[in-house]
Amino acid sequence: MTTPRKTQRGSARQQVSRTVDPARYDDVRSRGVLLCVDNVSVSFDGFKALNNLSLLLEEGELRCLIGPNGAGKTTLQDVITGKTRPDSGSVFLVGDPRELTLLSEHEIARLGIGRKFQKPTVFAEHTVLENLELALAGGKGVFGSLWRALRGEQRERIDEVLRIIGLVEHASRPAGALSHGQKQWLEIGMLLAQDPRVLLIDEPVAGMTHQEMERTAELLDGLAGKHTVVVVEHDMDFVRSIARRVTVLHEGSVLAEGSMDQVQRDPRVVEVYLGESC
Amino acid sequence: MDTSILARFVRLHDRRGWTAFGACAVLLLLVLPLTLPDYLVPLLGKFLCFAIAAIAIDLIWGFTGILSLGHGVFFALGGYAIGMYLMLEIGTAGVYRSNLPDFMVFLDWKELPWFWRGFDNFGFAVLMALLVPGVIAFVFGYFAFRSRIRGVYFSIITQALTYAAMLLFFRNETGFGGNNGLTDFKHIYGYSLSDPATKTGLFVISGAALLLVYLGSRYLVCSKLGRVLRAVRDDEAKVRFMGYDPLRYKLFVWTLSAVLCGLAGALYVPQVGIINPGEMQPAASIEMAIWVAVGGRGTLFGAAAGALVVNGAKSVFTGLAPELWLYVLGATFVLIPVLAPRGIAAYGGVLAQLLRGRRAVADTPRPPEPDREAEESVVTEGSAEVRP
Ligand SMILES: Nc1ncnc2c1ncn2[C@@H]1O[C@H](COP(=O)(O)OP(=O)(O)OP(=O)(O)O)[C@@H](O)[C@H]1O
Ligand SMILES: [Mg+2]
Repeated sequence: MTTPRKTQRGSARQQVSRTVDPARYDDVRSRGVLLCVDNVSVSFDGFKALNNLSLLLEEGELRCLIGPNGAGKTTLQDVITGKTRPDSGSVFLVGDPRELTLLSEHEIARLGIGRKFQKPTVFAEHTVLENLELALAGGKGVFGSLWRALRGEQRERIDEVLRIIGLVEHASRPAGALSHGQKQWLEIGMLLAQDPRVLLIDEPVAGMTHQEMERTAELLDGLAGKHTVVVVEHDMDFVRSIARRVTVLHEGSVLAEGSMDQVQRDPRVVEVYLGESC
Repeated sequence: MDTSILARFVRLHDRRGWTAFGACAVLLLLVLPLTLPDYLVPLLGKFLCFAIAAIAIDLIWGFTGILSLGHGVFFALGGYAIGMYLMLEIGTAGVYRSNLPDFMVFLDWKELPWFWRGFDNFGFAVLMALLVPGVIAFVFGYFAFRSRIRGVYFSIITQALTYAAMLLFFRNETGFGGNNGLTDFKHIYGYSLSDPATKTGLFVISGAALLLVYLGSRYLVCSKLGRVLRAVRDDEAKVRFMGYDPLRYKLFVWTLSAVLCGLAGALYVPQVGIINPGEMQPAASIEMAIWVAVGGRGTLFGAAAGALVVNGAKSVFTGLAPELWLYVLGATFVLIPVLAPRGIAAYGGVLAQLLRGRRAVADTPRPPEPDREAEESVVTEGSAEVRP
C-alpha cells in the first residue's frame, strides 16, 4: 500500500525510477559506502533548502553534520527518512535496489533507517519500558501485535538497552516524568532497540548539562561501528569530542568535508562561521 | 516469557477488578432480569446497547485519538439490518395482509427489492448488521486515513457521512421505509416481541454482549496493539518513523469500532421496536461522543458508565422538562472538559481511593501492563463506583 502524501514539496517531481541501477553503486561499494545521497534538491516556495546535495556515508562511521542555522541539515534528514520528497535527486542504500525517495516513512524505517528528532519525542504517557517495546525491531504488523506477547529474547534486549542508557530503575515510570536529558537518552535507547543500520540524530545535546553531554558522547561513541551514525550538532566542543569525519553544510550544499581540524582550517568554512568560535 | 493468550486474559484485571466485573455480570445477567419491573426492562436494555456503542467510540476516540461524530450511522445500519429481518418476520400479519412489508405495499411495490433478499434469515441479518457497518467504515476510513485527514477535519466529514446517510434513508425510494423507518415488529426468531419473557431475554443478551465487548476491548487495549494505538494518538509521525504503518492500525480499530456499533444497533432495535433515519441525525452521533466524554475517555468502563449515566439523566429530564434536555446536554459538553477532563471515571478512582482511606491520586487510569504482574487496576475499581 503506497500512500500519496501531503509532504512538503516544491515544484512537481521529475520522473524518478523506482529502482536503483546496481551499476550506480558498484564503484562506491568497494569503498564501504552504505548510504548514498545523490544530487538532491528541495525547494520550499522557490527557496532552495537543499541544492544539488550529494553525500556518501560509510558503513559503521560516525559522521558529524554541522552548518549554520538554515543550512539544510534537518531538511536532509527529512529527505532521507521520507518525510520530505525532494524535487530531484536520489537516495539509496548500497546493495538495495529501492529508491528511498519514493517510499513512505514506515517503509524506510523498516529498511533500517532510524531517526531522532531535534526535540525529544518520547511517548509521555507510556512507560519507559513500553517506549522501548514499541521501538523494538520487528513485529510492526497489526495482528501480530494483537496476539503476540514479548518473547524472552526481546525482553532481554530491552533490559540490555535499559542498562546502556542507564534507565533501569526508571523502567516502569511514564516517560513524561523523566528529566530532559533522560528523555534524550530514552530516545537514543529507542533507536538502539529499533536496531537500524543508519541512525540520524538531530541536535542530541541541546539543553543538556555538561555531565549529560559527556554521557551522551559515550553513548553515541558506543553506537558507531555497529551502526552508521549521523549527528547534527551546533555545539562545537561536543562535535570535537566525538567526531571523526565532519561535513559542513551551507545553503543547501556540502561546503567542506574532512577531519575536524581540516574543516576548521578551511577558509570557506571560517568565512561562513565568521564570528562563531569554531 | 511467552505467555499464552489465556494467561494474558486472566491478567486483564487484578483480583479486585475481576470481582467488580463479576459483580456487574451477576447484576446484569441475574439480579436485574429477575427484579426489574417489566416497563423498565426495554429501557435499561436500550441503555446497555448505548454502553456497547460508547465502548466502541472509546476505542477509536479515547485510545486512538480520532473523534468520530458519525458513529450513529453505524449504529443505525446495524439496527436497519435487524429491522429488515423483523419486517419480513411479520409475514402476512401486517395491516395489508401482504407478504411484503406494509410500506412497500403502500408504495405499490410488487416484489421485494434485491437488497432485501436473504433478510428473512436471522443469521444472515445478524451477519449483515456487523458486516455492512464494517465494510462502509473500512472504505470510508481507508480513503480518509490515506489522505491523512485528521482531527477536526475528520470529525466534520464523519458528520457529513451520517447526514448524507440520513438524507438517503429519508427517501421512500431508497427502500427502507422513508422517514417512518421500520416498525410494527411482531416476532423475533419465533418469539413474540410483546412477551415480557422475550424482552427479558433480549436484556440478558444485551448484558452478555456488553460484558463480552468490554472484555474483548480490554484485551485489545492491554495488548501491544493498544499501546501502538495510544502512541498513534500521541505522536503519529514518530510512530511512522519507528516502522509502523499508522494507516493499518487506524483502519483496524476504526472498522472494529463500527462493527461493535452495528452490534449495538442490532440489539437496540428489537428492544425499542423501531428504527428510522432519526438515529442518523448528526446530533445523535454527537450525543454518543458526549457519553464517552462524560464517562472518561480511554477508560472503557468509564465510557460504558457514561452512556448509562447520561441516558439515565436524559430519561429523568425528558420526563420532567423535555424542552430543557438539549440545554443540559449542551452545557454538559461544554462543562465536562473544564470540570472533569477525564470524565466521571476519574472521580470514581478518587472516590475509591478515599473510601480505602488512601491519598487520592487523580492520575489517568492506565491499563496494567499485560507482560508483567498486573498491579492495581484503577480503571475497574474506579468505574465500578459510578455504576448506577
Ligand atoms: N516546511 C518548510 N517550509 C518552508 N521552508 C522550510 C521548511 N522547512 C525548512 N525550511 C527552510 O529551509 C531551510 C533549511 O532548514 P533546515 O531546518 O533544514 O535547517 P537546519 O540546518 O536544520 O537549521 P537549524 O540549525 O536551525 O536546525 C531554512 O531556511 C528553513 O527556513
Ligand atoms: Mg535543524
